[in-house]
Formats: sequence, C-alpha cells, structure tokens
Amino acid sequence: MRGMKGEPMGIKVGICAVVLMCTSLAWGEEIRWVSSAGTTLKAEASATSENVAELPVGAEVTVVETGGRWLMVRSAAGVNGWVYAGRLAETKPVAEVTGSDDPLFGDSMKKSQITTAKADSARSIRGLSPETAAYAKSRGTSELSKKSLEKIMGRKVSPTELKSFLKEGKLGEYAQMTGGNQ
Amino acid sequence: MKHYLILAIALLICSPLPVSADFFSAIQSIVKPDSKEGKILAGATQMFASSRDIDYKTEKTIGEGLALDGLTRFGNPVNNEQLQQYVNLVGTALAANCKRSTITYSFAVLDSPVQNAFAVPGGVIFISRALFGILDNEAELAGVLAHELGHVAAKHALKSTQRAQLLQGAGTITAASVGGGQGKKLADTIGSMQTVLFDKGLDKDMEYEADLAAMETAYRTGYDPAAFIRVLEKLQKLENTSKEKNGSWFSTHPPLAERIARLKAQLATYPDYAKQAHVDSRFQRYLKMK
Repeated sequence: MRGMKGEPMGIKVGICAVVLMCTSLAWGEEIRWVSSAGTTLKAEASATSENVAELPVGAEVTVVETGGRWLMVRSAAGVNGWVYAGRLAETKPVAEVTGSDDPLFGDSMKKSQITTAKADSARSIRGLSPETAAYAKSRGTSELSKKSLEKIMGRKVSPTELKSFLKEGKLGEYAQMTGGNQ
Repeated sequence: MKHYLILAIALLICSPLPVSADFFSAIQSIVKPDSKEGKILAGATQMFASSRDIDYKTEKTIGEGLALDGLTRFGNPVNNEQLQQYVNLVGTALAANCKRSTITYSFAVLDSPVQNAFAVPGGVIFISRALFGILDNEAELAGVLAHELGHVAAKHALKSTQRAQLLQGAGTITAASVGGGQGKKLADTIGSMQTVLFDKGLDKDMEYEADLAAMETAYRTGYDPAAFIRVLEKLQKLENTSKEKNGSWFSTHPPLAERIARLKAQLATYPDYAKQAHVDSRFQRYLKMK
C-alpha cells in the first residue's frame, strides 16, 4: 500500500505511531516537577502540617488529587503527600550548562546544581570573579562600583529568613486567603 | 516522507521529551538545506542551539561586566542595608517560583532618578530608587522584579545579541583569556548588550513574554498578579510628564497601552487574583528608607 507521493504507507503510519506513543506517554500522566528549594510533602494541605518527605528541586512527582492551591502527589519513591502548587512546575526546571556537562540528558541536573551552588557560595567569600575583575580593569571601572557589585552578590537570604518572610507576609503556602491586604 | 519528518520533529520539540543536537544533525543530513523543509529545520536547529549557547559561568561573567557598567551609568546602590535585604527577600521568594529557579539571584535598589529596572544575564537584578518610589505595596514590587526574573530565566539578553554567538565554541571565559583575544570578544558582547538593555530595549515579544511570566511568578508566590498592571498604569500616567526618559522603562519597553491590554486579557486565567496578597504595611516601612 502506497501513499499519495509513493512512500510506503506503513512507514508513515509507523513514524506517526512512534511519535504519538512517545508524546502521549509523557502527556498522559499528570507529571509535575519540584521547582522550589526546601519543598516538603505534607500530611495535610497546610503549611503547618507534619512533613512526610523532602523533595529536591527537579524531583518528578505524579499528581494524585487536587485540592485548590494544594495538590496530593506521589513521589518517585512512592510516598504520597500534599504540596503547595506554587512549588511545582509543569515543565522540568532548566539545568545549567556547565561546560563539558551535557545539560539535557540523564542526571546532569543534580550535578549542575551542585556546581552552580558551589560557584555561588565561593563567590560570596572571595568577591568578584577573576574574569569580572579583569574586565573591570580593562574598562577602568571605579573601585566604588566594584565594591558595590561585590556587596550585591555577597548578600544572601537563608532558608530560615525566607520562611519567616513568607509567614509574616502570609504569602504562598502561608496565605490565609481571606482578602488581599494585610 | 519529508512532511512526516517535519511533523515528527515538531511534535518532539513540543513534547517534554529530551531532544539532542545529534538528532537535528541526523535529520538535517537527509533533508536538502535549500528546500522548504530544510529552512524549517534550520530555524528549529537555531532555536534549539540558542538555549544551549553559553555556559552558566560565562553567562555570569558577561552579566557581571554588564552590571558594573550599569552601576557606572545609573548609579550605585542606595546605602541602606535593611532596604537592600528586603528587596532581596522579595526577589528570592519570587525566584523560587520562576521558570529558572536553579540559579542564585541578587537584587539591588540603585540610587537613580530614572524610572527603570533591568536584569543582566546570570541573575543580578536592579530597580531604581525612582521606580521603587512610585510603588504602593509589595505585590507591585514583586511584579517588577518578577518581570526582570522572566528576562533572566528566558535568557533574553543573550538571545538578543548576535555578538554573543562569537563566544560560542571558544569555551568558558577565563581571567587569562579576558586579557587576550577573548577580552575583545567579551567587551564587544557586553557593549552590544548594553545598547540593547540600556538604550534600544529588548525585542517587544520578549517584553510581552516577561510580562506574562511576571504575572505567573507573582501569582505562584502568593502575590496579586494584577498589581503589576497597576505599576504599568502608573507609568502610563507618568510617561507624558516625565523629564528623564533616556534609559527609562518608557524608552526601552513597548507601548504601555499594549502591555496593559495583554496583561488584562491574561488576568482572566487567575480567577482568585483579588484574594492574593498585597502586603501594604511591610512595604510602607521600607518605602521610607529609599
């Protein structure tokens, strides 16, 4: 059997079937990815509920049940729990390109994040990178601007500070949803 | 057959499955470059390549150079540590919910009379004292910062300059290479990006994309996404009377009326937006410090 332009129909059907099978497998299940650091599965749909499991950024979960802004999900380890929907993304978080590491495959996500975290952490201790310092020298950038950028990049927000900030502002999973203004 | 291959490629690009550069090379080898399919493939390959052009370390180096030039041009940070830490808290809360949550972002209020905010590749984000000063609550500040996060997440500045392509294949920039041939390329790249970010502005479609991303990120963090529309409406009122337009959001962004119309249309996707947080009182404490 042949198609309009003479290619075997079986090949056409085969190509479409394989592509549709691949894509429908990915789309058929409601899969989401953890996009926020410090994400935990909760026993109930509440920020103050007991922690059931911790999930790293990039972890894949399957949606089991929706409850407004909270979702019941199943982790890769098979643990069920509630998570604030804002902590999940519908697409896999983008891994950073780190030179020889291929960012689009396998387990490079975790490796890249570690590399990035190490680089950022080291930066806060030693100030401007040698490359930036060399650029600043070539441009004749003022000491004040260099010191300012060093200070900007050295300023850090700890997970504890962030949690207190969100709680105080009744933001995200700490929202009471009783009205806009606090 | 070629049409089926194009259909297959389109479906694979749209799907969440990983696609490799080798895949594009293999397909290109069986399609004539000057054919219609070949041109579509070339475009798809370019789109694919643009997302994997420059590694994070090089992106940061370019961004830090731009940040230094931005500080020189617009002014150094406002000298108030509490205010700077507050803006970092708002920004970090948003960053956890943006499309690129895996890198570290830094935020600063610059002592500048020009109403402006801008982001450099790698994640340093600035808002001017003048723009901060027209805001009324934390949700409005969140809208502005989330718009800038949208640019960094989508790597808009990197995609906007052809010169960034010059750094491809040259490997990661090192301190030694900045002093050599790569130094010229780096300076050219940064110079080109400066023109885009500080004078000409990014492509208008990138701005619209960052606007929509701002609403989504603000909403996911718990802020009222409509607050960003109110910021743009304030800027619209100020636009005619503003003395200093050079380097401001007026001169580097698409017409505010169009941006506001698009965002209002998007607001329908957030039916509970009015119940989201504004956080007035905390913001007012810091507003006095600017």
